[in-house]
Amino acid sequence: MAIILPATIVSTEFLFSSCKSDVKEEYFTDEIIKLLDEIGETIIPATSTSPGAKAARIGAFMKIYVTDCYTPEQQIIFWNGIDKIKELSKNKFPQLALSQKMAILHVLEDESVEYAKNKKSNTGGNGDAVQTGKGNSDKMNNSNPHFYPMIKELTLFGFFTSQPGATQALRYIQTPGSYQGNVPYKKGDKAWAT
Amino acid sequence: MGNINSKGIEKNTFDAIVIGSGISGGWAAKELCEHGIKTLVLERGRNVRHLIDYPTMSKDPWDFPHRNNLTLKEIEENPVVSKCYAFREDAMQFFVKDKEHPYIQEKPFDWIRGYQVGGKSLIWARQTQRWSKYDFEGPGRDGFAVDWPIRYEDLAPWYSHVEKFVGISGNKDGLETLPDGEFLPAWEMNVVEKSMQKRIMDNYKDRNVIIGRCAHLTKPKEIHLEQGRGQCQARNLCQRGCPFGAYFSSNSSTIPWAAKTGNLTLRPDSVVHSIIYDDKKNKATGVRVIDAHTKMITEYLAKVIFVNAAALNSNLVLLNSTSTRFPNGLGNDNGLLGKYVAFQNYRGTLNASMDGFLDSYYYGRRPCAVMMPNFRNVYKQEMDFLRGYMVFFSAYRGGWNHAVPGDQMGAEFKQAETEPGSWGVSMMMQGETIPKESNRVFLSKDQKDEWGIPLLSIDVGYDDNDEKSLKDFLNQGVEMLDKAGCKNITTNDSKQAPGLDIHEVGGVRMGKNSKTSLLNKWNQMHECPNVFVTDGACMTSTGTQNPSITFMALTARAANHAIEELKKGNL
Repeated sequence: MAIILPATIVSTEFLFSSCKSDVKEEYFTDEIIKLLDEIGETIIPATSTSPGAKAARIGAFMKIYVTDCYTPEQQIIFWNGIDKIKELSKNKFPQLALSQKMAILHVLEDESVEYAKNKKSNTGGNGDAVQTGKGNSDKMNNSNPHFYPMIKELTLFGFFTSQPGATQALRYIQTPGSYQGNVPYKKGDKAWAT
Repeated sequence: MGNINSKGIEKNTFDAIVIGSGISGGWAAKELCEHGIKTLVLERGRNVRHLIDYPTMSKDPWDFPHRNNLTLKEIEENPVVSKCYAFREDAMQFFVKDKEHPYIQEKPFDWIRGYQVGGKSLIWARQTQRWSKYDFEGPGRDGFAVDWPIRYEDLAPWYSHVEKFVGISGNKDGLETLPDGEFLPAWEMNVVEKSMQKRIMDNYKDRNVIIGRCAHLTKPKEIHLEQGRGQCQARNLCQRGCPFGAYFSSNSSTIPWAAKTGNLTLRPDSVVHSIIYDDKKNKATGVRVIDAHTKMITEYLAKVIFVNAAALNSNLVLLNSTSTRFPNGLGNDNGLLGKYVAFQNYRGTLNASMDGFLDSYYYGRRPCAVMMPNFRNVYKQEMDFLRGYMVFFSAYRGGWNHAVPGDQMGAEFKQAETEPGSWGVSMMMQGETIPKESNRVFLSKDQKDEWGIPLLSIDVGYDDNDEKSLKDFLNQGVEMLDKAGCKNITTNDSKQAPGLDIHEVGGVRMGKNSKTSLLNKWNQMHECPNVFVTDGACMTSTGTQNPSITFMALTARAANHAIEELKKGNL
């Protein structure tokens, strides 16, 4: 199955001409990891109450997780999305203003909404070829067939299971000491990390 | 093939041999050793010492390279065990990898194993319920299996005996269908579960919703402190091994206790090839062991042998124990060894949402769910299927990836994801299945493992009764969740193969008649009474309960009988 790439492609690093990808860890250059940090930080930014995806070293996490846990099909979706971001940002994503970064990610998000609409009306389609990682945690659902839901899920997962994410954005207690079935909750209280 | 070195024979001679150090083998060892019986416990896997050999017990999520998920390679190399919910980055060291121990699937069967000292008692789900009189009476009443040679009254004192030592948390609910036990304080339900309990029980007078019962020390007693075990801290990371010894495992409990007596010899890395039967003496005299690494063969001798290798492994050992007297496997005059294997039906699940209750949350991670004892065919056969199912459910609030409205990126999005979501409910079944002669295990004629032992062929499948039972559970689940106030109720049939329940039993069933069963009421082989089988292999029917506490009670009862018989000189 050939993947049609946009006519103007800034980087020639990732030319996937077939489904048989031979993606390797080396594709995660320092530059790419920096880009992933910025994408992650756009999705989950630092706020006054807690750090963001950058503090969680989201790019380094994505390198490991995508390399080891994504199927070849999922990796193609991942890299095609990264390619698109590089294209839309003219390879300057890290330097853009926040609103511009979000605008680019919104383009991809809109595509995924369209994709989901069309998938519903089709009987088959590429989405079916993407396998969910069997045996993987039901916390991490790899079955998203489009880039934006995929990168969003990956960012949420990498952030909230990281030390800064779990301990500062959420409440993390390795050894609770007891179980209480009913503690008062008010809006704004953080969720348990695990 | 005797050892002419008499000192060698002496060194290798014991009063009793226990094959397997898992949840039932550990109990055999404890009971035997406590009564002065010099006992050799043979474990095919490596040693796992309590606390010392739990490498992941204190790790945080970010300590795992893949945040506790499996890699693609691990999944591809382990198509069977990677289906198991507990086979993840934090506990995979306690599971048999697919390639290490191949077996043959005549029909799809996911055989999940833990080959190490402690066996699956390290990784089990720790849920425990007593069988009721209805469970023991079932086969005799409905005719779907041979009659159990025992009744609830026979086992009740032994349930008490093991529960006290193990430490079981639960509520005295006063139910005929699920007898109360010796309990430590019960875990709490959360507000949604309490509401559901009331609404379900208001709507169904013959159904009960109770908190789960489990092998956790909610409030340790003296006997537990003596074992060196402490209070459960609600971490729910049990499969890693517990720093507090707060859940029951052979490693934290029965094995160190047996060792303290001075009567235990534990030999890990010991693959049992077969039980030695002496045709002249007309009894089993010992066990042939192949060292897991050196492949050296050693014979160990004993007056009494307990087979606790885990249900299907015990079948394998017995089938491979051939002699002039028993050409088809030890004790197998009637040809039924390996037959009438059964399991529990886990295929059905439901999910739903629950509005409201947003001013409540929980603290800590409870190691059990809410449960409903079986309510089908209890007093008489009345459905279009035999037997029934236990129901488990729990309510929880959405975590960090729950669906939130609005912009799917940015500060507000992050804020929304740091708060718990609305409530969800998930429900599952644990269905009794009917043992059939055609559901069986047998030895491969031509394929052997690296120790020269034939591979096990497993030929076990679902039947029409399972499909009907599943259908009823899903229908009832929808109805009950609806009456409980849930919305967005969805049903699912996982279509999983048998085995993933990890409750496979049978093949060496107990019964009154030696023509139709392999074991008598004391778990002794009818045709070889100094061999006892007390793990899952002995089960005549499956019941709807989590089976391990029943294995422990049967083992303690049988071991004490063996001790009496030894003292009388009958064995």
